[in-house]
Amino acid sequence: MSPKPSPLPMKAEALALLTLVAIFLLAPWPNVQAVLHLLLVVGLAAQARSPLTTALLACAAGWIVEGTLRAVPRMGGTPLADMAVALVARYLLARAPGGRLAAFWSRYAVLAAAHGPLAHACAWLANGPHAWGWGWLVSLLTVPLWGTVAWRLQRRPFDR
Amino acid sequence: MKRRSAILTGAGLQRIAVALLVLVHLVWVAWGRGPGFLVRRTLGLLTGPSERLAQRWEAWRAARDQRLRGLAEAQAEIQRLRQALADAQVREAQAAPRLAEAEEAVRLLGLQHQLPLDLRAARILANTRNAPFGGLLVDRGRDLDLREDQGVIAPEGVVGRIWHVAPTQSTILPLDAYNASTAVMLGRSRATGVLQGTGPGRAEIRYISSQEVVQPGEPVFTSGLDRVFPRGLLVGYVSSVRPKDIELRIEVSLAAPLDRLHLVLLLPPSPPLELQAAAPPQPGSSPDAGLPRQAPAKGAR
Repeated sequence: MSPKPSPLPMKAEALALLTLVAIFLLAPWPNVQAVLHLLLVVGLAAQARSPLTTALLACAAGWIVEGTLRAVPRMGGTPLADMAVALVARYLLARAPGGRLAAFWSRYAVLAAAHGPLAHACAWLANGPHAWGWGWLVSLLTVPLWGTVAWRLQRRPFDR
Repeated sequence: MKRRSAILTGAGLQRIAVALLVLVHLVWVAWGRGPGFLVRRTLGLLTGPSERLAQRWEAWRAARDQRLRGLAEAQAEIQRLRQALADAQVREAQAAPRLAEAEEAVRLLGLQHQLPLDLRAARILANTRNAPFGGLLVDRGRDLDLREDQGVIAPEGVVGRIWHVAPTQSTILPLDAYNASTAVMLGRSRATGVLQGTGPGRAEIRYISSQEVVQPGEPVFTSGLDRVFPRGLLVGYVSSVRPKDIELRIEVSLAAPLDRLHLVLLLPPSPPLELQAAAPPQPGSSPDAGLPRQAPAKGAR
């Protein structure tokens, strides 16, 4: 007998929307923006009710980041990477929803480490060589911070 | 029907929407900056190493060409400088005789100012001293009212006397000729004798008593007793002294460089025995223009 679906994660989704707004407002501080971006993509979007919501939240986060940074002429690389990482994170969450905090930190760190090269690869595919910045390193170093927030908002059991 | 309905359920539609969303983004990103972007990018990746290698090759060739051009220019400059140096050396060699003659003329002019005699200059045309009965040929002769037995001097010392006078040339009998005799005296002992030539650049003094004390290096002056030269003109220096019977055999190295003379001064016929005091040196005269120096007065010793 499969576990009963949990109630709607309104709290996480509301926080995701607020994070979207914060990402937009924090454009003058790209490193802080990168931390919230990873929190949304890896932590919050993966907990959405449906895969479509996950993809839409990640896509919106990617477009907001690229649109506010205006670092590349042809946008779209970061949303694609965000959707891919968010869907993978959602898949991992569905496969292994439980676990201790340290295990989630490790998972988030791996996803964050994969997100950086993937996003830059997609941006390189669309634009060619471009600047990298230090957001990927800041977000990787702050995994214990935003990873704890995402872990606390996690629904148990996860809605498959 | 059942399968189609399964696809059209909410979850299936969501999956389709997610797939479309990702696919649209993928196409959008992959499309890049144009239809041929990926092809160009791929070709660029494939040809990148060879292009970088070719660029390095071209850079190396350009640097080598630059070095070769620099080397060629340097070699051309060296060749030009060598040619200029050779030209300058040729010009210097051409001007050397005239320069030496000019210096000799300056010294001769100084000597002419110092000696209170009616001196006349002559240019040596030929030097035949090594030939039998040879001598020095000058470009003055009877046209300048020259006569035999006029003394000939140079800034360094006495040269000889006029032996034969032709209408426009004269022959000088140098001091080192075997048949040349000149009245001389020693610088320190004032002993007088006769100088006779013994070969190129050398002569010996006869008729000096073995009682005299003569040292090598002692200067020899004309004594004026032959009435060809005034007293006190430098003839040479004693090179060796050996006793020979009752007289000394005194060899003398002549002061005048008979091989390198170009200009000489001709003394007047029968000059006075004693010269007057030398005139003060003229401004602009050569410092060596005091030759041939005169012997100090007898009472000065």
